[in-house]
Amino acid sequence: MSKIAPSTKTGSHHWLMQRISAIALLPLIIWLVLSFVQIVQDPQSYLPIFFAYPLNAIMGILLITTSLYHGSLGLRVVIEDYITNKIKMHFYIMLINFLSIVTAISAVVAIIRLHLIG
Amino acid sequence: MPTSPHIQIYSWSLSSLTSIMHRLTGILLYISVIIISWYIVYYTYQIGALESQEQCDCPIKKAMDILFICASIALTFSLYFHFINGIRHLFWDIGKGFEKKRAQLNGLLVIVTAKILTVLTVISVIYFNYY
Repeated sequence: MSKIAPSTKTGSHHWLMQRISAIALLPLIIWLVLSFVQIVQDPQSYLPIFFAYPLNAIMGILLITTSLYHGSLGLRVVIEDYITNKIKMHFYIMLINFLSIVTAISAVVAIIRLHLIG
Repeated sequence: MPTSPHIQIYSWSLSSLTSIMHRLTGILLYISVIIISWYIVYYTYQIGALESQEQCDCPIKKAMDILFICASIALTFSLYFHFINGIRHLFWDIGKGFEKKRAQLNGLLVIVTAKILTVLTVISVIYFNYY
């Protein structure tokens, strides 16, 4: 018999935050689909004009941060399910968290810049 | 020695299919959010460089274009599928739609709706591009 894993005391928090971020993503995804259809005709020239509008900049920043948070929580569950080696598991979870935070901050800075120069 | 049935033994059912696809599309969407975010960062700091890119008519560019279109259609379907199946999961969390018949019907509805929305999106993109 293997040893019983000790409780990390954060089990239900992830579950709950996954659901809350999912509900937050519902309106953001609808906004994404509606704006995607506009932006896709000429992304090269339309992107700065697009983010010049305050609503689009705010929704873009919210969408990227919320989806990366939701995605890192989801990938954490996938990693916990399929990687049995504990050290590797924690390494990959930390890697996903690191990648998400770095990407979110860079994208937010870029969108703010596009908003200010647009 | 008794062994549990292996994965190949099980027949495909709608509930397992939607569950597996929910995970796969989730991973795909996470990767694409990362790529799109870095594309926005790259785009923001090199506007001049992107504009001066010369257009070449080589076959490799055409192949990449076709690959890009296929990838974006697959991504659109993934987004819609994960979105609608996520709503289904939220309903399950509050304890609704668990009966076997209802769950089957829901699953079918999710796949059909995601396909219809993907087709509608592709049509509207083509419409906005050419008119």
